[in-house]
Amino acid sequence: MASQTQVKTRSAQSSDLEQKLQKLRELYADAPEMGKTALENLIRALKSGPPAKEPAARIESAGRIGRRQGKVSELTVIVRLAPGGAKRLRGFLETLHGTIGNELVDRVGTVHDMRFVFLENDTKLLFCTAYDGDWDVYIEDFATKIPDILDLQFGDTEGWPGIHSPKVKDFIASHQITADFWYVANPNLTVVETRRLERIGNATEEFLDKIS
Amino acid sequence: MSLDERVSEDLRNRTAVDLHDIQATLLRHRPEPYFGTHVFLHINDPHGGREFLRRLAPHIASAADWWNAADAWIAVAITYSGLVALEVPEDSLRSFPEAFRVGMAARAEKLRDYGTNDPKNWHRPFGSGQIHIQVSIVSDTEDKWRRTMETARQQYQGFSGVGVLLIQDFGAQPGSLNSLGYKDGIGQPAIEGSGVEPLPGHGRPIKAGEFILGYPGEAGVPLAMPQPDVLGRNGTYVGLRKYQSRVGAFNRFLRENSQTDEERELLAAKLVGRWRSGAPLTLAPTKDDAALGEDPQRNNDFTYANDPQGRQAPLGCHMRRMNPRDTQMPVLTDVNIHRIIRRSTTYGAPYDPNAFSEHDDESARGIYFLFISAKAMNTLEFLQQEWINDGTFMNLGNERDPTVGLQEEGATFTIPKEPVRRRLHGIETFNVLRGGEYLFMPSLSALNWLAGLNAETVERPAYV
Repeated sequence: MASQTQVKTRSAQSSDLEQKLQKLRELYADAPEMGKTALENLIRALKSGPPAKEPAARIESAGRIGRRQGKVSELTVIVRLAPGGAKRLRGFLETLHGTIGNELVDRVGTVHDMRFVFLENDTKLLFCTAYDGDWDVYIEDFATKIPDILDLQFGDTEGWPGIHSPKVKDFIASHQITADFWYVANPNLTVVETRRLERIGNATEEFLDKIS
Repeated sequence: MSLDERVSEDLRNRTAVDLHDIQATLLRHRPEPYFGTHVFLHINDPHGGREFLRRLAPHIASAADWWNAADAWIAVAITYSGLVALEVPEDSLRSFPEAFRVGMAARAEKLRDYGTNDPKNWHRPFGSGQIHIQVSIVSDTEDKWRRTMETARQQYQGFSGVGVLLIQDFGAQPGSLNSLGYKDGIGQPAIEGSGVEPLPGHGRPIKAGEFILGYPGEAGVPLAMPQPDVLGRNGTYVGLRKYQSRVGAFNRFLRENSQTDEERELLAAKLVGRWRSGAPLTLAPTKDDAALGEDPQRNNDFTYANDPQGRQAPLGCHMRRMNPRDTQMPVLTDVNIHRIIRRSTTYGAPYDPNAFSEHDDESARGIYFLFISAKAMNTLEFLQQEWINDGTFMNLGNERDPTVGLQEEGATFTIPKEPVRRRLHGIETFNVLRGGEYLFMPSLSALNWLAGLNAETVERPAYV
């Protein structure tokens, strides 16, 4: 269960680490000299420094697929594009997404970032995003609130069933690749919370300006 | 104006949903006062289970003329393990959604049922896979309840096909108040095509497919439905949650955060969004108005247009979380697709305002909540994750629902106020989860189909 954390004694932890480092050294045995040196440097730094901090948030599963840290989740999709799809999608992204599209995604309020990358001579799309919460809780809301944006973003991918289709979750999950490693600076800050803190920060500065 | 008077002739004629086939509980409001019993049964052998359904089916009320229904009725719902026990064919079983198949206990992570709410702390037989069938008897008088209960009892008593796991009476509470002392069951979604104009303030009617399988939902298409059609159509799902109310903790919290009786009652209203009488803070912001609370024409007839900051009804109060109406939310949300029919049935000792001890927290009283919708599992998981055990959607950070949320150490509740908000620390979990099941509430024709499964005289229906 996600809320359970394993508690280990410090000595057990350090022997754990020692074993992992040994494995890593074996992996790097046939690495180029530069890699080996860099690894030894880092291991030395790790051992001479203060004990490692507990991570700010555990890496867990973001619902069905993908990873989550704290409140933030990642989604990476690689999907084949229909013929001519890259051209259309690129046109849509350049012409409409930067204006009305971005505004609509702003309103979604859970999307930290989104990337569209065309691969292999425009035959495939790499789509990456970081977002708040579980993988699929708001899919139905998108379907009734911003269906056109979703259908334009993904309508040119092969097999896109349409945002209204009950199969849309399965389609996305079947093309999703879970990241092996992922760094998040502020795992406990949602998009909404970040905006709220920004407003509080501004109000505090204004208040301090007035009383100083 | 009575419910019956709100049925326009026009609507009567073009009622879109098949009221004769769906179960009464879907549309009939819980009466007031109310008396009833939930009976949980185990199927001992497939033939016996089907025979029991065959005996029970003629006594299950349909929703026909539900607006006239000041009466007693029997409802029935079946868990996934119950469908397996009835020998529903494999391809049909596979057509049910995954959350329903694995059951509520196995979905604890999705439902945020952690810590004290963890299924391992539930009361048996909940979460054990033993519960196959739930039969509920609901009535507006004690006398009719006893007679209807007797009808139900005759179908299972002394019948070897099914065994009784648990019998739980509910209702008969003074003033029909719930276990924390509030009038409840006020806000219900209006269902399009069900034949009745919505009460003022209940919003536009929501597409029938959100609540009944086989009709278009808000997205314009019907939801996926169990197969064959005769099994799925006109059925729905029920998420049952058994809560135990920690009345001592609740009363202590009120006492510690108020100086006078008036302050205490205002705080109690701020947590829920309604005074104990049912009067909403939006219409009665500073003092209770019992007549307003009583009046179904008025007690839900409001929007939050004049209260965007929550100075009347706090953004985090239970009522506003469960139905944000026109609240400007920082997360794109379609408030019409997360509605659910709620049938609250209070059990055990009545609310006691003088109960303060930890011993009082453990006395058997609380609520069996029935959440009914064509996508009850999805909606319940959404509500538990986003609207109950989080505050992001209302700009409240980690704050949780003050009545049904699972509170963590150091939890807070914020009451917006001029000039500065008041933040209460140390709010506890006032309703602890003690059990839960996902059930399928079949149509009357599906009940007959189930009862006739594997009968030699009946051809197995073809799949469409």
